[in-house]
Amino acid sequence: MILTARKHLKTAAMVAVRSLDDRGWAIAVDFGLRLLRVAFLLSLWRMLLPETGEVSGMTRGAVLTYTLVAEAFSGLLSSRTGLDGALWRGDIANRFLRPAGIYGQFMAEMFGGSVTGLLLFALPLYCIAPLLGVDPLPASATAAALFVGSLVLAVCIGAALDFIFAGLMVVLEQNVYALMQIRSAVSALLSGAVIPLALMPWGIGEVLGFLPFASLASAPLRIYTGTGDPALLLGLQLFWLAVLWPLAHLVWTANRERLVSHGG
Amino acid sequence: MHTLKTLLARWRAQARLDFMWMTRDFRFFAINVVSDIILNLAGVTAVFLLAERFGGIGPWSRDQILFMLGYAALVRGMLEVGFGYNVLAISRRIGRGQLDHTLVQPQPLWMALATEGFMPFSGLWQLLTGIGITVWAILNLGTALHLGWWVMLACNLVASCAVVLAFSWLWGSLAFWAPVAAEEISSRAFGFLYQLKAFPLDGLSSFLLAGMLTVLPVGFVAWYPCRQLLGIAPPDFWHTPLAALAVSLVAAFVFTRGLKHYAGTGSQRYVGWGHRG
Repeated sequence: MILTARKHLKTAAMVAVRSLDDRGWAIAVDFGLRLLRVAFLLSLWRMLLPETGEVSGMTRGAVLTYTLVAEAFSGLLSSRTGLDGALWRGDIANRFLRPAGIYGQFMAEMFGGSVTGLLLFALPLYCIAPLLGVDPLPASATAAALFVGSLVLAVCIGAALDFIFAGLMVVLEQNVYALMQIRSAVSALLSGAVIPLALMPWGIGEVLGFLPFASLASAPLRIYTGTGDPALLLGLQLFWLAVLWPLAHLVWTANRERLVSHGG
Repeated sequence: MHTLKTLLARWRAQARLDFMWMTRDFRFFAINVVSDIILNLAGVTAVFLLAERFGGIGPWSRDQILFMLGYAALVRGMLEVGFGYNVLAISRRIGRGQLDHTLVQPQPLWMALATEGFMPFSGLWQLLTGIGITVWAILNLGTALHLGWWVMLACNLVASCAVVLAFSWLWGSLAFWAPVAAEEISSRAFGFLYQLKAFPLDGLSSFLLAGMLTVLPVGFVAWYPCRQLLGIAPPDFWHTPLAALAVSLVAAFVFTRGLKHYAGTGSQRYVGWGHRG
């Protein structure tokens, strides 16, 4: 158990360090563009929401904090393990040969890959948040603690969804890019990462809130901003975790043997 | 005249190849059609939902927003039809050494790049989505549109496509000097442009707005031309075409310089045994 944990921590550390190799300019440009996107979304919410009062249970301040935190933790909230890319390139084969479980490997890589973003983007973003007119702090100390737990659950649910989508890719034997793009586009919209679900029209946010995608971003962000019932949100996340991981395991193990890769 | 004939022949050949590629397998065809439609819709749905929820955004009514979303989807669709196979994402061709495949062909580089990306069948579905949203918006707007307006719409659409293409080529040309890094930078910058193309920029500070109309010309993809087309700003036929010309000139300059550099170095990305670094 300890040996396995150490292997995964080592993998995460290696990925974190390698993510900086020879990519200084790419990282700087990426962070610059992300900062611009935050500034842009903040100005959009300021244009839409009144300075005082609530809209669908959210104040303007809460929505601004929601937007800022969503961008700061976007690497973890979007929960992309990189499994689709490994299938596309064909280097999934190397991973089967490593002395560690396939799920743990990808989750360790995902965590390692997000460390750079957390240290070099999220931390500075939190520091300059007051300059952007946003209070980056959580609603309370309890909310902060529950947010961490909810974030861990969100990452685990996202990884399960990734393995389900990967299984489907193998079954369909079709263009990985097409399925990857659909997964990204649909989950960004349905997870509440861009627009808080409560601010969607026709009450569809209430329905979407019960789907697994909402557990990826909306749940932790609502807990952080104190705009949702933590017991209900964490309960839903635990439910989806219990449903999706067995399903992911079933889909993945049933299809991994069918994998034929011509990538490289 | 001879050049035009050659161009038409090349486009016809590409169209035939694209049709054969698209119809080789029904499941492949269906997945591509569905994914293209979902992608183009997903790219504009967020803004539509906001406009619906708040009855518009800033000075834009819900239907005006819908028109802008249709315009943005049309731009994406037109580029998909005309510049697929990584002609739009030129950094991939340059960075991976694939430009060599084009350079050895017995035709001018410009002609190859103008025709190789023609995908009238596989790119059609995104274009149709854009047409659908635009027609729906125009019907909802209910205003009488004269011939001059349609000409202005067509010119602005072409200009917006040129802005996106030139922007992609400007960043993509960096791959002549830095093949790996430029591919990442270019795809991120391009993704940013597409991600924010459908958002109204009215609430931005003047500093940010200036940036969104120059360094990262997101505004010219849909927001700026639609303001003029819908009368939110005074109509001026030339603004977006002029912006397109300016970005295109800069892109052409950088691409030409890069190509000269490439002539001396070639692709540096593949190591001796053929693996991509």
